[in-house]
Amino acid sequence: MKILIVDDFSTMRRIIKNLLRELGFNNTVEADDGLTALPILQAGGIDFLVTDWNMPGMQGIDLLKAVRADAKLASLPVLMVTAETKREQIMVAAQAGVNGYVVKPFTAGTLKDKIDKIFERLDAK
Amino acid sequence: MESSTKTAQLKAAHALVSALEADNEELIQQQISLLSQAQESELFHEVGKLTRELHESLNSFNLDSRLVDLTENAMPNTRERLNYVITTTEDAAHKTLGYIDETLPLASSLKETAEKIDESWHRFRMREMNATEFRELSKDIEAYLPLVKQHSDQIHINLTDMMMAQGFQDLTGQVIRQVITLVEEVENNLVRLVKVSGKHLEHKKEDKIVDPIKAEGPQINAENNPNVVNNQDEVDDLLSSLGF
Repeated sequence: MKILIVDDFSTMRRIIKNLLRELGFNNTVEADDGLTALPILQAGGIDFLVTDWNMPGMQGIDLLKAVRADAKLASLPVLMVTAETKREQIMVAAQAGVNGYVVKPFTAGTLKDKIDKIFERLDAK
Repeated sequence: MESSTKTAQLKAAHALVSALEADNEELIQQQISLLSQAQESELFHEVGKLTRELHESLNSFNLDSRLVDLTENAMPNTRERLNYVITTTEDAAHKTLGYIDETLPLASSLKETAEKIDESWHRFRMREMNATEFRELSKDIEAYLPLVKQHSDQIHINLTDMMMAQGFQDLTGQVIRQVITLVEEVENNLVRLVKVSGKHLEHKKEDKIVDPIKAEGPQINAENNPNVVNNQDEVDDLLSSLGF
């Protein structure tokens, strides 16, 4: 299981990376916005995407839309971890096909819970 | 009125008088139309000047209203944002220090007990220990091993919490970036204001398009905003109401 972590702040990438390691996911790669993330995703081999929303260059919501629009990536599970808390934003993310939405600041428990739920749903399909 | 126009008008007036005296109908009409033409062009000139002045006043008024908005709304909002940075960083620093305070005694107690056992163990290896003392040592080791596991687990938890407390940097970084953008805007407006007062205003009209999902970073005063969720539970409720 290879996970791509996209956030413009290296501290947040480090936190998410460490938490994922605690959960048993040791294979992670990082990108600092949508523009650098997309080529990594298109190169293949990524099984799970964790992305922030508010980033310079390409924002997380646009990365999500680009992923869903790409036939090869369309079914990639995407977890959004963001400080964006407007109801309209959450609804737009849901419509765009996000698999989970975690608001910052978050706890280790919340992240685990959402990742578990995403995999439960994927297994059920 | 400019003197050249005046001379021309005076010349036309004299010519008109001469034409009237000579009773030259054609010349009379010619001079009258010449005079009224000069008047019209003067009128157009004045209207043009007034229009330009009005345009400039309106533009500087627009600029002023943005400045008013900056001072009335953006600045207090920025104060709030910067206070948010202070409280968030303070909170994170206290949390981290708290975990350190909790963790250090755990490490120290493990070290002290280990030293004590090490010393006794050394005496045992040197055959300097009697049976009672050895029973005591065995009891100490038996009590120590589960304690090592227990304290190590707690240290691990505390270190993870310390790591989580560093998440503030992402949030405060976003807020500070917004403040930088505002400072840039104030700077640009001041430059433009200087240009207006120097009568060299650049006409630049920007249409403001409101994007409902524009990224805003962490919300300040989220409790008072019905359009914003306050925590993960509210996100989950919203998503489940959407059939998630």
